[in-house]
Amino acid sequence: MANRQSIWARYSSGLAGLMLIVVGGCASRSIILVPDPLGHVGRAEVSTSAGKQLLEKPGDMTRISGSSNPPSAVTTAAPAFIAATFGEALAVEPAPPQIFILMFEAGATILTAQSQEMIAAIVTAIERRSAISVSISGHTDATGSDKLNDLLALERAQQVKALLLQQGIKPELISVTSHGKGNPAIATPDGVPEPRNRRVVVIVH
Amino acid sequence: MKTSARAFLVATLVAAPAFAQQAAEVIGHIQNVQGVVSIQRGGTTLSGAAGAVLYRGDLVRTGTPGAAGIVLTDDTSISQGSGSELSLDDYAFEPKEGKFALVLRMIKGTFSYITGQIVKLAPESAHVHTPDATIAVRGTKLLIQIQE
Repeated sequence: MANRQSIWARYSSGLAGLMLIVVGGCASRSIILVPDPLGHVGRAEVSTSAGKQLLEKPGDMTRISGSSNPPSAVTTAAPAFIAATFGEALAVEPAPPQIFILMFEAGATILTAQSQEMIAAIVTAIERRSAISVSISGHTDATGSDKLNDLLALERAQQVKALLLQQGIKPELISVTSHGKGNPAIATPDGVPEPRNRRVVVIVH
Repeated sequence: MKTSARAFLVATLVAAPAFAQQAAEVIGHIQNVQGVVSIQRGGTTLSGAAGAVLYRGDLVRTGTPGAAGIVLTDDTSISQGSGSELSLDDYAFEPKEGKFALVLRMIKGTFSYITGQIVKLAPESAHVHTPDATIAVRGTKLLIQIQE
């Protein structure tokens, strides 16, 4: 009997230990800020119902232990922890896209000579990457009629699509949109002419 | 009765094309796959092969072992390791109309998240929800671990 009790005592203390480990496991929720593929480090604000924490420097980490507790004070994530925890996810990270910017003769759907040469580079990129999507977006600056600008931007984007189709790129890869003046390369107030914003952007993924 | 039935029919006819158009909007692709990956769309579960298209509301699930790398049309990139679940709760990328939304729900697992053009153009419209926290991001890359 005494023996049995001591076994139970040992078992229950073992159980308590096990529960501690499980509870510790539950708390393993972390958010880490790291540099993006271009080396740029932004900012992230992590909030629970009890408070928030700002991540600002590369490697900044906060841990979350339930929505009723504030995020932990910021620590620095060890590279070994990052590699061990996120290795699988990082291994399948999509390669950064290749981005091409094409310029046109003023008011027309004719590519500048320099941009015409870029078509071959786009085709090479699509083939080399075995691309799964090619997005072509037409952009305008913030002058003139939105309606006419959008129409021209879309016609230019369609023109680039036609050139890629001529080179044997499969139509199902390609999507074409007009972003109008809503996604400028260089931000300007309305009514300011900016030739660098009148462009077509081809993004190859 | 007859009137209400007709009203219903009209409502359905009006609503149906709008819904169909919305549902048909491709918001991204699965670019890389390791092991078992599935997409839950409404009541159906589809195999998540490389090149599979994604729609708003899709849930991407990885097995053990399993991993998936996703690209959305605004260049947002999300990759997830084994035993992970990601729900694409809301998405809109229409710069011409100034319409932006990106709501990602990371349910469990490990994630690498690189922000795209939505965060660049309208950071306030992008949110990541985890089971007990919300993350607002200003142009960057984040690693997120949600162990159950």
